[in-house]
Amino acid sequence: MAELWNTIILEPVLNSLIALCTMLGGSFGLAIIVLTVVVRLALFPLTVRQTQSTKAMQTLQPRVQELQKKYAKNQQKLQQEMMKLYKEAGINPLGCLWPMLIQLPIWIALYQSIMQALAATPENLLNLSQHLYSWAAVGQAVPLNEHFLWLQLSRPDPNLILAILVGGTMWVQQKMVTPPATDPRQQSMTSMTTMMMPLMFGFFTLSFPSGLALYWVVSNVIGIIIQYFVSGGWGYLRAPSAPRVAPTQAPPPAQAQKPVPVHKISPNERPSKTVQKAAEESKTLKKASEEKKRGLFGR
Amino acid sequence: MKRLSLIFCLVALSLLVLGCAGPAWEGWSGFTEYDGILYFGTMDGRVLAISPEARSQGLPFPSENEWAFTVPSMGTPGAMCGPACVPASTRASIYATPVVAGDLVCVCIYAGEKGKLVAMDRLAPGYTEGVPLRSKGEWTYPSGVKSIGAIVGTPVLVEGTLYVGSSDGKLYALDAAYGEKKWEFDTGGKVWTSPAVEDSAVYVSNYERKLFAVSITGNSLLWEIELPASIASSPLISEDTIFFGTFDNHFYAVDSSNGSEKWTFEGGNWFWSTPVVKDGVVYAACLDHQIYALDASTGDKLWQFATDAPIASAPALSDNLLVAASESGVIYILESDSGNLVRAVSIGYPVMAPLYAEENMVFVHAKNRCVYAVDLQSGDKVWEFPYSDIK
Repeated sequence: MAELWNTIILEPVLNSLIALCTMLGGSFGLAIIVLTVVVRLALFPLTVRQTQSTKAMQTLQPRVQELQKKYAKNQQKLQQEMMKLYKEAGINPLGCLWPMLIQLPIWIALYQSIMQALAATPENLLNLSQHLYSWAAVGQAVPLNEHFLWLQLSRPDPNLILAILVGGTMWVQQKMVTPPATDPRQQSMTSMTTMMMPLMFGFFTLSFPSGLALYWVVSNVIGIIIQYFVSGGWGYLRAPSAPRVAPTQAPPPAQAQKPVPVHKISPNERPSKTVQKAAEESKTLKKASEEKKRGLFGR
Repeated sequence: MKRLSLIFCLVALSLLVLGCAGPAWEGWSGFTEYDGILYFGTMDGRVLAISPEARSQGLPFPSENEWAFTVPSMGTPGAMCGPACVPASTRASIYATPVVAGDLVCVCIYAGEKGKLVAMDRLAPGYTEGVPLRSKGEWTYPSGVKSIGAIVGTPVLVEGTLYVGSSDGKLYALDAAYGEKKWEFDTGGKVWTSPAVEDSAVYVSNYERKLFAVSITGNSLLWEIELPASIASSPLISEDTIFFGTFDNHFYAVDSSNGSEKWTFEGGNWFWSTPVVKDGVVYAACLDHQIYALDASTGDKLWQFATDAPIASAPALSDNLLVAASESGVIYILESDSGNLVRAVSIGYPVMAPLYAEENMVFVHAKNRCVYAVDLQSGDKVWEFPYSDIK
């Protein structure tokens, strides 16, 4: 199994990375950036699809929460109603997962390639020999020039710059896609999740080779750009952190521009409960369907 | 969303684990024999002195003149350290083979980015709390808490001077008795190989594709050449010719007087280990699973022998036998003139360390933290010495 993985996925990526390094004048840092961009571009359709599916799912969240409350004691009915809701909105609940699963092996291969190509120790370098093609461009590049900007790519960045960049870009990316929770308990959980990953990766950056951190930063920045154009803006990054359904409170300006799926209607405007619910439901479902159908930059 | 975050966390963690995947490597240091004692280093920073005689008799360790010494870690204890695949740790490892200089045994330390030479009494190290015992003539270079770049290549001792290359790109010449620096030469690129010394020159390669000839006094650069690829193996010098392998799968013979190329030979992978030369034949083990016997003057292939796995360990010669060990743990004993297999002995564990042959015995430092003594005539494992539990 490991042999198959190496032959089909790891070695093509690894050798491309090293050959790219030769083509770019021996700069491994530049090769990491270029290959990350190329891989992200190749996976672009999948990323767009994943982003759209996630967004459509998020749009339905208020409705899902309503159903969860309504059928809290009847799980079977809840499942049925939820499936019905998704069907009406034309959403596959697993739609946001499978593009991610397809991309996963490529990410892992890219990650492994960077780690192996850097060959920070003699044993890493020796191990590299078993994965290289007999291309002249590959043999001549090894061992790779590990200096890039202020970094020594096989060593952790001694400054905090890269750690801050990794954590910061990851936080922005997460914040763009994470809807603010209405429930205070969920709110603390969400904010913790949003903070945990960037902090974790920021911490990893202090110990891992800076070449890998460079890959994380570039990958995050591309992710942010894709997210920005696919979602048509900064998403939930500009939304308030804890929106509450307050009858007397007018919607914030950010929401006026890019409505998040929390529906706020002032008491004066509030129609009868049934009408409100029907309108809300229709609006939500319509929006979710539109999200699904809308193409890139469709906003 | 929570599920997605959980999946993302799991993916991130699995990536980190996969990126570091790979076995823990042990057993890189070869042996130096002096006065009936074998000295070698370990990847957990220990230096061991073992007596083959005591081991063959099954005496408890340590017997007479045997000892184990742990080199202290470099840097502040508790300082940030990276995962196993990242050399950010200040823990000391020993890749290089120790060298005996008079009453001292010198070992080279690799601790992340830092390195040091440590010389200790070869009969009983007097270090206390990591500080050398001056009354026994022990020293460290640099002294105190200072360090140079990490050291991978084995130092060479010639007429009381130690020559050693370092990851900081410098070649150091040190007084072996006192540990004082005589001179240094900056190659401008990482040096992970051993230098070679002959007559009035020291030859050293770096990972910037260059090979340098420096005068033995350190006063001048005699010549330098740039190759199509960096040099993978430590150079070997014999009769005015320098032999080495490069990362583009070539094996070179270069004139030591001016650096001009005499001949090249192409293999199927890197020539990682240091070759051996005898009677006008150079024996080069390759990571393409082959052992090549080449005419030292022309580069013509005399014979080749296929093994079951890559060969990273430097072969050894004993009389008319050539001994090589593969990464799968098989010891091949061949007739050096014909390449015919005399016998193959499996020890079952990968071997990376250079082999050391003496009389009818070959000593093997294997990856399972064990030293084996194999009888070349019978192929029997005479004794084995697992050292992982020794403090």
